[in-house]
Amino acid sequence: MNTLHFKVGLFAAASLLLAGVFLVYLLHARGFFEDTVHLQLAAASADGVAPGVPVVFSGIEIGRVTTLGLNDNGGIIIHTEFLARNAKWLKENSSFTLDKPIVGGAKIRVDSPDLNAPALPDNATMLLTTSDVSKEIPVLVERVKAILANVEHLTRKDGEINATLANVKTVTGRMTGEYGVLESVLGSPEKARAVTDSLDKTRALITKLDGMALKMDGMATKADRWLFASGGIADQASGSMAQVRLMLTDAQASLKKADALMANAVAISADVKEGTQDIAKLRAEIDDAVRKANALVNEINKMWPFARDPEVNLP
Amino acid sequence: MNFLAASIESLGAKVTGWFTVGYGIFAFLAKAVLLLLLDRTIWNRATFDVVIKQVYFTSVQILHVFLGYALVISWLIITIILSTARDFGLTEFASEMTIRVLVLELLPFLTALFIALRSGSAINTEIALMQVNNELDALAHCKVPPMQFEFLPRLIGGVISVITLAGLAGLLALLLAYLSIYGLSMAGFEPFTQTFAKIFNLQIMAGLIAKCALFGLAVTLIPITAGLETPKKLFMVPVSVLRGMMRVFFAIVAIEVVSLALKYI
Repeated sequence: MNTLHFKVGLFAAASLLLAGVFLVYLLHARGFFEDTVHLQLAAASADGVAPGVPVVFSGIEIGRVTTLGLNDNGGIIIHTEFLARNAKWLKENSSFTLDKPIVGGAKIRVDSPDLNAPALPDNATMLLTTSDVSKEIPVLVERVKAILANVEHLTRKDGEINATLANVKTVTGRMTGEYGVLESVLGSPEKARAVTDSLDKTRALITKLDGMALKMDGMATKADRWLFASGGIADQASGSMAQVRLMLTDAQASLKKADALMANAVAISADVKEGTQDIAKLRAEIDDAVRKANALVNEINKMWPFARDPEVNLP
Repeated sequence: MNFLAASIESLGAKVTGWFTVGYGIFAFLAKAVLLLLLDRTIWNRATFDVVIKQVYFTSVQILHVFLGYALVISWLIITIILSTARDFGLTEFASEMTIRVLVLELLPFLTALFIALRSGSAINTEIALMQVNNELDALAHCKVPPMQFEFLPRLIGGVISVITLAGLAGLLALLLAYLSIYGLSMAGFEPFTQTFAKIFNLQIMAGLIAKCALFGLAVTLIPITAGLETPKKLFMVPVSVLRGMMRVFFAIVAIEVVSLALKYI
């Protein structure tokens, strides 16, 4: 036995065998032993599609574009080819999307939501939709630009937001002043002081009115006694008493003016909560004072029956 | 003026030299092919034995060394491609890249270089020595035509060797690429087959085989013609080998460049 010949023979046989296996594998891979399934895709534009563009299902290539051309109506018809073993992924409810990523070539994506749906027949025609990321980018950039321009406009040196912030700073600065919220609402410590001064004066006035009412009470009792003890004096006194009543009506009118002033103050500070609470309290005091004055006037009127009705019966 | 004339003359001499060498190579090839196709008498047992010997010395003898070398270089290149592809998030293109770089380009090129270094230089020296020692004339005188028994078997052996060795190295690289990408499982067989089918169409296969055949021719034909044109002086043998190997190297690079240009341009 010739060793050299044996070795060469072994080498040749092994090489031929491997070449044969390779050939069979190559033919299998290229679908030589299988039927092919064809599918037509109708698209609005063939931009980026060329023969050889892969058709992928879940990221795995299952077929490719063979030819593409126009139909009679000017639409694009893309012919694709699938091996029979891959055609099972094509269902009647499958959707076909043309993907054009920024990196890499275009591909046609197949999505089959329901794998139990009936399979697509050979030579069927489906619609191809396009999802082109690169086309959306300019639109997106334009919108972002517009938003940025707005933000820039708002935050410019003399812009609204800056002005508003400056105002807020002024208001909060005033709030920390001697007169607090009242100062921030009215604008300056002087005005706030004027309001508090007028409130103080009103309070003093009310105190005086209280005192006067007590005196009036006492005086009325004395006058009653005096009048009823010796009749006839009432006629003389009625004139001066009428003057007192006029004076009281005046007082009532002036209190009403104070009331109106306070109502305005409350309206001005309506949107400042804490301020409103302070002023509402003062308002309540003034209301109270006015009510007391009213009661006083009424009492005087009551105790002065002959002024309203001279023929009233004496008790 | 003299200098200019002299340099133009030397340039002309060089160009003429290149043309002479190119003509010698192609004339020799034409003669060999014509003999192979037209002369039925050369298809005999004796020629066949020499062809087998040449195949043995050119490929079988070095098979284990060559496959080990192909394994190491393939593993390195595959690892580099895979890690780069992973870094750039392009893993889906890794298998295609591996096949294209290794199986189609690098391994045939390296096979040709391997055989040129080992067998090409040996053929060149052998023919040059035979030429210097008048052995070729003696053989022809004894009715043993050197073309039939010395040159043609070497050409056939070279072509067969390069095609087979490049094919085996390519298969090894394919296997290695599959194992590197998908590991020891059949899970990746379908996608790998898809990629494989996408790359290996008829033109690519024909181009690959033609390229390997041309490599095989270059690494045997050029050393033979370089050896044959050796002047009959012993000290010219190393010069002949030097020139022959330079030509082989340029021829291999030229074939590779042309094949790449045809494929991608």
